[in-house]
Amino acid sequence: MSFINRDTWIGLVMMLVAAVYWLEADKIKISPLDGPVGASGLPKSLAYALGALSLILIGRSLVSALMTPKSASEKAADEPSLADTMRPHLRAVGMLGIGAAYLLLVSWLGYIVAIAALLLAVSLYIGAAWTFRTLLIAVGGGILYYLLFVQFLGIPLPPGKIPALLGLG
Amino acid sequence: MEGLAHAWTALTTTPAIFAAFGGVAWGILGGALPGISPSITMALLLPFTYTMEPITAIVLLASTYVGAEYGGSIPAILIRTPGTNAAAATAIDGYEMHKQGKGGEALGLSLISGVFGGLIGILCLILLTKPLAGVALYFTPPAYFSLGILGLSVIASLSSGSLIKGLMAGVIGLMIATVGTDPVAGVTRFTYGAPELLGGIPFILVMVGVFAVSELLVQAGEPGQHERTASRQMRIVLPSWAQFRRLTKPQLIGSGIGAFEGCMPGAGGTIASFMAYNEARRWSKTPEKFGKGSDEAIVAPEAANNTVAGTAIIPVLSFGIPGSNSTAILLGGLLIHGLQPGPLLFDQRPDVIYGLFGGLLVANVAQLLIGILLLTPAIWLVNRPKPYLMAAIYALIFSGIYSIDHSLFDLYLVLIAGAVGYVMRLLGFPFLPLVLGLVLGYLIEANYRRSLLLTGGEHRVFIEDPISLGLLITALVFIIGSGIRDYRDMRKKQAAADDESEA
Repeated sequence: MSFINRDTWIGLVMMLVAAVYWLEADKIKISPLDGPVGASGLPKSLAYALGALSLILIGRSLVSALMTPKSASEKAADEPSLADTMRPHLRAVGMLGIGAAYLLLVSWLGYIVAIAALLLAVSLYIGAAWTFRTLLIAVGGGILYYLLFVQFLGIPLPPGKIPALLGLG
Repeated sequence: MEGLAHAWTALTTTPAIFAAFGGVAWGILGGALPGISPSITMALLLPFTYTMEPITAIVLLASTYVGAEYGGSIPAILIRTPGTNAAAATAIDGYEMHKQGKGGEALGLSLISGVFGGLIGILCLILLTKPLAGVALYFTPPAYFSLGILGLSVIASLSSGSLIKGLMAGVIGLMIATVGTDPVAGVTRFTYGAPELLGGIPFILVMVGVFAVSELLVQAGEPGQHERTASRQMRIVLPSWAQFRRLTKPQLIGSGIGAFEGCMPGAGGTIASFMAYNEARRWSKTPEKFGKGSDEAIVAPEAANNTVAGTAIIPVLSFGIPGSNSTAILLGGLLIHGLQPGPLLFDQRPDVIYGLFGGLLVANVAQLLIGILLLTPAIWLVNRPKPYLMAAIYALIFSGIYSIDHSLFDLYLVLIAGAVGYVMRLLGFPFLPLVLGLVLGYLIEANYRRSLLLTGGEHRVFIEDPISLGLLITALVFIIGSGIRDYRDMRKKQAAADDESEA
């Protein structure tokens, strides 16, 4: 039987965050303009507060686990498989990855191409079929966004290096 | 009269009227999309308000809130999927009416009671904001510090999830607010050599990240379509005068509850609409019809959540303390334009305050017209395949955020905030305390340090100032009360588990 449940882990991680934050706060320079508290005063207080809250959370979750322990068989019956649990999170990471890829590529490809690629990638990723319609929506959407942001609102979105190299910029 | 003149000037010399119409339209379309809450609809708009005049920007955001509250009822009635949390109560009888072939009537009732509730909400807003803001004139730096602590404590106590996690989220929000240059000595903190961080992390990036991006990440984890409605064409049927008069009582019940709940931090439209539903049933002559397509069961919650859209702005304008996600975004909009809510705003920028009142009035009336005109496009939008909608929203976030400072660095911060928001959802942390901690960080730290500068470091000042003491005691009462509630919940769960194991 394990008493380390989810809230205990959260408490431990938050405790670590509080400790790292305190250490970083301790490095803040002292200024002659600092008042009685200084620039590191509030950050250190916040680190203590987070540490204290983490301890309460850990304590509460341990007490809760002791009061209502689950047997191994109950646990096995309750919990979905690891693959089922992880699938949506991995998909969320993939979505972030598409966003990061857009940010890496937009300076090279230029806004109009990159945003159309983003529309296509996200549509396919969330479940659209790889059809001419999807491609058309992505290209049309890219042009629409370009007209709205660059032409209508006058936002200087990245023109891209590749279009310039090809003499299109 | 002076206020009326300010409102008239603001509405006639700026594009605020267009903003009211545009905001309502955007709000209805956003609110109609399941999963896109009013706060997300407003957050998506926030980057575009940077370059607007303050009055136009604030009216646009507030009108979006108004429109989204009605928009949420469209899918609630047509596909029993509330577009907003507050529309969940409407879905019960609204969908029943739709199944009985009275969907157009249900939408008409929702629209009219929404306008009715909205007007009551604005009336409360106009009558209560200035007197409440006047109280803040007596506030000293220690009182402002304690007000910030009270705001955070109340929101952490009343937000969904546990008290401890709510408080943790508030502390993390305050931690994020410490990034950048400190407010007293000008020392840089936690910037790690990145010049982009010298001015701190703009709260707009965090708001868009935790509200909008995290929702997209959740949606990405649940591929598939949301339900569609077969009704591609539908006409709103407005209630007759006789029916409207018959429904006055549930509308007043809804508006009364909405007026009260809107002023309370953390309560919001969802609680108000369910309370209104229950009270309307209790006071109804035909309670047996509730759940089977009762018109009273639609007007009460709709009047309630639209009243909340007005009254929830009262604590924001009076004290700068938002009580819900949507009003936190509105506060963000005010701060972006350098407008610090409170009594001084009435003296310094009456055009903004009274212009907002006027703009909201226009928005509510416009809702009647736009609600009818936009029904078909809203149904069309509800029926769009989810992947294309989500892709369009993701692209809108990237384009909109870039347009603020023309910075790709900001977009990375938005993605990080989105990931943080996703993890918070996963672990049961509420968002609002985090956002509030970030927004109130400056107020809390600046007034904390000013107070101690005045007293040479004596923390006694926070209990010697009577207003500060009162606010801190209230904060403590909320925390203790919420702690007791959490403890009781835990005991109940334990008792239920014991019963189960015995059985």
